Formats: sequence, C-alpha cells, structure tokens
Amino acid sequence: MKADNILSLSKLHRSFPGVKALDDVSFEIPRGTVHALVGANGAGKSTLIKILSGALAPDSGQIIFEDKVYFPSHPSAAIKLGVSTIYQELNLLPSRTVIANINIGKEPNRFGFLDDRSAREKAEKVLGQLNSAGIPLNAFVGDLKVSEKQIVEIAKALIGQCKLLIMDEPTAALNEVEINALFKIIKDLKTEGVTILYVSHRLKEIFELADNVTVLRDGKHVRTLPVSQVTPDSLINDMIGRKILGVFPSKNNELGDELFRVEQLTSSNIFKNVSFSAQRGEVVAITGLAGSGKVELGKALIGDWPVETGQIFLQGKKFKPDPSRAKSARFGYMPEDRKKEGVLEELPVRRNISLPSLSEISRILGFILFNKETEMAQREVDELDIKTPSLMQLVRNLSGGNQQKVSLAKWLATGSKILLLIEPTQGIDVGVKFEIYKLIHKLSSQGATIILVSSEISEILGLAHQIVVLHNGEVQAILNGDHTNEEEILQFTFGQKKEKSK
Amino acid sequence: MPSQAKINFQKIVEIIGENGFILIFIIWVVLLSSTTSTFLNSNNIFTVLRQAAIVSIIAIGEMLIMLLGGMDVSLAAVLGFSGIIAASLMVNYNVPPELAGLVCILIGGLIGFINGILVTIVRINAVIATLGMMNVLNGMALAYTQGKTIVGPQLDQIAFLSRGYIGAIPFPVILMFVFYIVFYIILNKTVFGAHIYAIGNNDKASWLAGIKVDRMKILAFTVAGFLAGFSGLLQASRQGSATSSMGNEFLFPILTGVILGGISLSGGRGRIQNTLIACIFLMTITNGMVLLGISLYVQGIVSGLILIVALSLDRLRYRRR
Repeated sequence: MKADNILSLSKLHRSFPGVKALDDVSFEIPRGTVHALVGANGAGKSTLIKILSGALAPDSGQIIFEDKVYFPSHPSAAIKLGVSTIYQELNLLPSRTVIANINIGKEPNRFGFLDDRSAREKAEKVLGQLNSAGIPLNAFVGDLKVSEKQIVEIAKALIGQCKLLIMDEPTAALNEVEINALFKIIKDLKTEGVTILYVSHRLKEIFELADNVTVLRDGKHVRTLPVSQVTPDSLINDMIGRKILGVFPSKNNELGDELFRVEQLTSSNIFKNVSFSAQRGEVVAITGLAGSGKVELGKALIGDWPVETGQIFLQGKKFKPDPSRAKSARFGYMPEDRKKEGVLEELPVRRNISLPSLSEISRILGFILFNKETEMAQREVDELDIKTPSLMQLVRNLSGGNQQKVSLAKWLATGSKILLLIEPTQGIDVGVKFEIYKLIHKLSSQGATIILVSSEISEILGLAHQIVVLHNGEVQAILNGDHTNEEEILQFTFGQKKEKSK
Repeated sequence: MPSQAKINFQKIVEIIGENGFILIFIIWVVLLSSTTSTFLNSNNIFTVLRQAAIVSIIAIGEMLIMLLGGMDVSLAAVLGFSGIIAASLMVNYNVPPELAGLVCILIGGLIGFINGILVTIVRINAVIATLGMMNVLNGMALAYTQGKTIVGPQLDQIAFLSRGYIGAIPFPVILMFVFYIVFYIILNKTVFGAHIYAIGNNDKASWLAGIKVDRMKILAFTVAGFLAGFSGLLQASRQGSATSSMGNEFLFPILTGVILGGISLSGGRGRIQNTLIACIFLMTITNGMVLLGISLYVQGIVSGLILIVALSLDRLRYRRR
C-alpha cells in the first residue's frame, strides 16, 4: 500500500553565507495528520518553514505537494496552492476588523464593490466551524487577546481553502486554558482533513497532539518517527547529537568578591523574578530557548528593555540601567545585532574603537588627542587581531567576524570591569568563535566579570562558571558550569525539569 | 569583474554627488564673468558674500541638526520672530542694543531648546514639530506687529553688524568666516563633533556606546536656535527695520544650501565647508539672474528646481548598497 502523503520533501538544500541552513533534508507528511517539527536553535526549522511558505527558495531539491511539484514564488502563491503559515508574530492588521482580516485578499465583491454581507456571513461561518462564535466580528483585531488573534489567523487560512497549515510555536504566548482550546481546534481541523505541520519547543505538546515527529539538527534531517515510538529523552538526544566540541581553555578559578547582583528582576510576562549574582573573574551564562526571555533579560541589564520591578547592584551600589551610566561604571555591552547596534558602519575602525573613551583621550574643551586615539585603536586591533587594511577603513567593509571584534574592542579599550555579551558568536565562523572564547577566558582571568547570554550550549559549558536557565521567563535552574552537561541544560530549557531549591 | 566595475561606478557617483555642485558653481561663475561685465568685481563679490552671510550662519545650525538625522524648518521663522523682538525692544522701549541683542539670541536659543524637547522627550517627528513651531512663530510675529513695519532711528545703532566694514571687507562676511572656522574646529576636532557624527550614523549604537543621545540632540537644536536668533539681529540690522515676514526669504535657501552642500538627509555624513560653498553658490545664482535680467518669477522656479536637484543628488550619493 502506497502511503497517501500530502507533502514530500526530497534532498532540500539551502545555504546562507557561512551556514548550511538545510542540508539534504528529505521526509514525508501523511495527509490528515498532525506532524511535529522539532530541533534546537539553528537546526533549520525556520528556514524550512520559510521555504514551505514561499518566503525563501531552496538552493536545490524538490517538494511535492498534492502530487504536484510545489515551487511557490511568493507567500501569496503558497496560500493560493493551499499552504498557510501562522507565524509566532501573527500577521494581522490590528486596526481592521475581524471580518476584514478573515476575508483579506479574498474580499467578496460585486464588480469591485465590497459585499459586506457575504463577508460577514463567511466570517461567521468559519468562526462557527472553529467553535469560536464568541469573537466579536466587528472588533478591531488589535483589541483582541492573543489567543483570539490566533483563531482569526486560522479562520483566515481556512477561508483560503488551506490544506496544509503550518503553525510556528503557536502556544508561546497562551495560557493553559487557551492552549487546551487551541488543541481542540487543531484536533477538529485534523478530522476535517487539514494537515498540520506543528513546530514547537514544548515536548509535552508534541506528545499530546502529533502523530509523527521530525527532528532536525544543524540543518540535517535526523529522523522522522511516529510519536508512539519516541520519548522526551530520545527526542532531546536526537536534537543534541554528538557535537564535536572545540577545545576550550580551562576556566579561571580565582574568583573575587561579588561585583554584580540582580534581584527579582521582572518585565511583565517576558521574564519574572530573575535573581543571580556574579563575582569578579566569573563567567555567568544566561540561556534558554528562543522566546524564553533571555535576550530581553540581557538587554534589561543595560537599560535597553523596560523593567517593572526588581533591582540591580553594581559593586554593592544600586544601578539604574542605562548605557551612559553603565559606561561610567565600566560596564560594557556587546549587543546581538552588531550591524544595527554594535558598530557604526559608516565610521572608520579607529573611531568605532575609541567612541566610548573619547572624553578620556581629549584635552580641555573636548579637543580629541588624535595620536592617542590612533594608539588606542592600534593596540586593540593588534590585541584582537582585527583584520583591516588600515585604522581608517570603514567598518562596513570588514567581515562579520571582524565587525564583531570591533564591537567588543571598544569596551576593552575602556578597560571594562563587566562585560555583557549577547550571542557573541552568532553567525561568525568557527575560527573567530574560538578567538572570542579565548578572549572571554583571558578577560575573566584578569578579573573581569562576563555575563554571557547565549543559546549555544557548547560555548556555555566551555566557558561559564554559573548557568542561569530560563524557560518562559522564569529561572528554571542555576547550574554550576562544572557539574552539569548538555542534556541536563536542555531538559531545563525545555521546561521538562525544574530545580526544587529556593 | 563586474562587481569591481560596479563599486567604481558607485564611487564616481559619490564623488560627483559630493563635489559636483562645486563644478557647476565654477561653470556658472565663468559663464557670468564672460557674459556680464558687472559680476566679477570686488563690489559685486562682496555683495554676494554679504547676502550669503546670514543664510550661511543659520545653515550651520540646520547642518548640525541634519547631521543628527533631523531637520528644522522653523529656523527662518525664529529669525523673523527674534528680529522683531530685538527691533521692538530698541525702537519701542529704548532698550540698549547690547541688551536687545542678547534677549534676541536667548529667545532663539529657548525656541530651539523647546524644539529639541519636542523631538527627543516628546518624540514628535522633527519636521512636523518644527513645522508647528514655524506657524506659531509666524502667527505671533504677525499678531505682535499687526502687519506693520518696525522702524526707527534706534536701529542705526546696530547698523554696523550687517552694513559695516573692517578695512575693505564687510563685517558680516568676516562674521561668517569666523563662525565657519569655529564650527569647523568643533565638528572635526572635538568630542562634541565626534558624537554628532556618531549619532547621525547610528543613534541606537551610539546610545548603547554610552553617548547621551537625547542631550546631544537638544543641544544641537538649541545651538541652531541661538544662531537663528543672532541672524534675526543681523537681518534687522541689514534692513534697518523689522517685519513679520522678514524670515520668509530664508526658508528655502537654508535647506537647499545644507542639502546641496552634501549633508546627508539620513544624517551622519557631510562636510561643513561644503555647506558654506553651497550657500555662496545659491547667492551667486540669485545675483547672476538679477545681473542677467531674468524675471523674478523665473527665479522662483529655478530655486525650486535646485532644491529638487540637491535632493536627488543626496539620494544618488547615499543610496544603500
């Protein structure tokens, strides 16, 4: 008996500069099933979703959808063919009504004049079908709850004769009751013959909903199995695999007194009651899945994310987060998005490095001592081995890794005592990665405190003394970097386990 | 290598974009010198420079704001408003010229400060905020003067500012060069200038590098206000009177001069010396058209076209790769 597959992927490849996001991925999705897709950060899930939704084209490989070659040139082409995607950040028009959103792109009309009544009837019917007649049809979508918006998205997809519905982390912003309601809708859709590709970090949901599960790792297809044949542990193992770890320098073991402390830091529903402290010479890692609040927590420490309650102490003194105050306290920050936030692309290397130190290398009335500026920049360029033809080269002409080094160099030039690094090795090649690791190690050996926000478990294990694990904005565990392993960290990040202490 | 050729092409566009107007300037000067006998003599040249003085001094303030990625369309109105205040204080209240001048400059600075607050703390788009301010100021000027001209012998006390000479050189021309030298040094040699260029380049990254971005923006608007206030004094001196519409003629030349001089509309790029050259160029165009006997109506069309050309050059020059 030949299986009835709605979708089959064969030998899909897609590369970005420096990364193979999808590397020879093949698997099938049987018609009328809920198919889960899992993988760690960077496994290739987003790339795959983008390809299926028509936002990206594969470099090579073939997709068969409904027994035909599927090659959407554009997201709207994918929707026309019957593939709808609901992204985590929902794609609705907040200042239009529910009816308008549901009918968008397929507005019923007579000779170009909108047919409001039939639009309304259609919206009513489809919401009824989703057991969600309670959603006010004339309300503005921006005023709805997240869970209701999601139902509007589903309704919109159904109006479009959707046969394959892709859902990316649909439960990330929902509470327990809403999740149950959503699951019921998904199960109903399945009985009506809609196939669902369900992407989630939450393993529990996969066991509750999915028929089959596909695991991706580093862009490669690991396996596709019926859910009945897997366990949470086997899934986690498949997601980690056996990675070849680089050789990390041994950790600095001379820690000083406490330099930095965070108490009960809270930002509405992004992160809650986060507390930890860091000593001189210590590397503290903050990790978690995408959406766990780790990046926002990192930004909050420097003042780039609002905080409602909680306090931060720097050397025992209360610190109100703000980049300018941080600079005065020798607290440096390397943001995640280096092009937009870390460097000034149209300025030369020299000025990029000297920027936070300018007032220290200037005379009365702010006259800059250019020879000191050059000296300072040259010292950091040598120290970090930044590859640039000259100090006057514009930063936009440097490679990503070298830009990253420039972004870091300016804080080394000021002699930072604390450094906050967010995803410092994201998108840079392995060679530069290890240079940055060595640098982190060297700085901590010299007594600097490093706060490292990262999703790369291997670098966390290789560098950190303490590991703060977040899940849904809450601290799941604070682990000792020398007495834990990848599996344990992942279990905490996936919320499978919670530390009892405290 | 096609990519190499493309880079070179981009570079040529950049160089022409940045300095092309200087070439046109030279052609225009040669043209005027050969077709008219009145253009190339020291008298006419000083006339042009004296006309350029006020525009180019205000343009410094506009340039600071545009380097930060903003824009201030109220500066011409600030000039008019503060000019009226200064003239009125002297003519109607017999206030000594030093004090009237000081009040005039301070009022300009205060208005600039308010603009700065609106743009940073209140976070209104700079063009819209200053457009509103422009209307408020023009309205207040009209209401105060009731459309009448303020004139009196007291204004002769400040005549030297715009009409005086030191040796053979008009005093305002000397003022203009002094201002440009001072601001050239500030922008190119000091931390203040470095911060202006950094913020214009990328204000988020600059903020994260510990620069007080809002404070710098407010400061730039305030300095622009001071300069516009001072220019009001200069204009009152030049006319020997003050009217509610005295700032109107400056609105376009200020923006055109700064943009033509190559200050990027998106901020962070451009040289102060080019702003000065562009302002003088603009005055040469008006002057030349008068010398050539071209009608006033055509002059309006030409100045509009120059602004559009300047804007197009800006887009070409700083097109994202």
